[in-house]
Amino acid sequence: MIEIKNLTKKFGKIPILDGINLSVQTGDRVALIGPNGAGKTTLIRTILGQYIFDGKVSVFNKNPRRHRVEILDRIGYVPQLPPPIQMNVGELVKFSAGISRKSSEDAIYQKAAELGLDIGKNVKKPFQRLSGGMKQKLLIALALGRQPDILVMDEPAANLDPQGRQAFFLQLIRSMENITMLLSSHRVDEIINLINRIVEVDYGKIVQDERIDQSHFADQILACRVTLTKNHEAAIRMLKDWGFMNVNGGPEFEGSFIGAERLRFFTSISHFANHIQKLNIN
Amino acid sequence: MNTFLKVTLADFRESVRAKWFLLYSLVFGGAVILLFVLGITEARVMGFTGLSRLLITYIQLCVAVLPILILISTVRSVVGDRESNILEYFLSMPISLGAYFWGKIVSRFFLIFIPISAALLGGIVWGMMKSLAIPWQIAGYYALFLGTLSWCFLGLGMVISTLVKKQEWGLGLSILIWLILLLFIDVILIGLMLQQQIKESVIVAVSLLNPIMVFRAGAVLLFDPELTSMGPASYVILDNMGYGGFLAFTILYPLSLGWLFSWLGFSRFKKGDLV
Repeated sequence: MIEIKNLTKKFGKIPILDGINLSVQTGDRVALIGPNGAGKTTLIRTILGQYIFDGKVSVFNKNPRRHRVEILDRIGYVPQLPPPIQMNVGELVKFSAGISRKSSEDAIYQKAAELGLDIGKNVKKPFQRLSGGMKQKLLIALALGRQPDILVMDEPAANLDPQGRQAFFLQLIRSMENITMLLSSHRVDEIINLINRIVEVDYGKIVQDERIDQSHFADQILACRVTLTKNHEAAIRMLKDWGFMNVNGGPEFEGSFIGAERLRFFTSISHFANHIQKLNIN
Repeated sequence: MNTFLKVTLADFRESVRAKWFLLYSLVFGGAVILLFVLGITEARVMGFTGLSRLLITYIQLCVAVLPILILISTVRSVVGDRESNILEYFLSMPISLGAYFWGKIVSRFFLIFIPISAALLGGIVWGMMKSLAIPWQIAGYYALFLGTLSWCFLGLGMVISTLVKKQEWGLGLSILIWLILLLFIDVILIGLMLQQQIKESVIVAVSLLNPIMVFRAGAVLLFDPELTSMGPASYVILDNMGYGGFLAFTILYPLSLGWLFSWLGFSRFKKGDLV
């Protein structure tokens, strides 16, 4: 689907991408990781046909710059930061649905509803006035509504609340079999269960390219019960952020999260390891 | 509806909500209202009165402020969208570069032209209500001049917007170009004429490269067919082009220049990095 050979991209004399070779096949779900300035966004933008470059890049066997429209009709893109669009939500949905061949307003409404965003209630609201999480949910719905063959996302869950993240990861997991994904992220723990390949970029080069085993319970809801040693304020706040509820007024809490988020949950809870008496996950 | 029209409409909707558009509309709408309130239609300076007097004043105002307002609002279009990541997002959709660029230009043209022509029309309607004589032909030509001047500076703004990397540079360059064009109208050319070291026809030819000068000369020509207010330059212009030829030139030259700038802007836009 995506073939990259000896890709070099310079800004001035500085190479941001330096001789990249990468082949992404159908069904690959690639985590593009690396520190800030490593070249992740530049690589994504090159694939989207937004940069001129040296080397060879083909998407669906076509040059992304010369065949932009055909290629982009099959790609869904979610940017890291929502752009300051002045249009209202209804206009943006209509515009996006009208531009893409496979998209429709109904599909976007449905994807947004699955993410917990009611477009109908916000249709007259300017996109700019939505909260960060709502903007991100709408952008994700717009991308998924296009029924893309490749989904490209730059830090897609950065602005989502725990419920939004859960719904978003569930959406992605349900789409896994049909979509090739390219996810850029600083934190691999967030997306580890969504992906089957990790590509690490640093100083414009690929320094690691590994395939990993798929998780068998990424889309399952895991019930969890946590017993604290005492009512520790910060630990309780963390658990409530994850949607946990207090049981019997004591230091016991119950909640759930999806398998795809389990590593992130463990990371969160590990900060309070000293205050945890008992932990049950089913 | 094809992509070009969708982009045009989307950009129109985006821009109509922007603060610059509100300010821009207030300047021209407010100017006409102010001219009426100040009783400019009653003034008899230069021998003109009534609505003709108002139109002259309005057009003089446009000479001074329209180019810079168009430049300031347009230079930010591509480079501003680039800086705010709007361009990155919209160009990740299946929109051709031609549809994006020309859709933006067409939408901006209407955004610029609607307030100035509405102000002109408002003046005429007010004049009719006050039972003033309406100089229809002149008003029609003025609308045409305003359209071609807008197109010319819109093209210039777009080419600057594709060339610069930052909005501040675009704004700085716009102000510099505007100042040079304004200075060339009077200060520099009069200075050169007084020195008498360069042939008059060369000075006139250089001045007629300046679209602001062409606009002003065209506006004067409608009231003063002999161009007497322009002094000796009128002989050079009318001897070489005649009344009809010069009138056609004042319309076609800014129009062609606008196309040339727009085409240059598009060529630059599609060849380089988009974001």
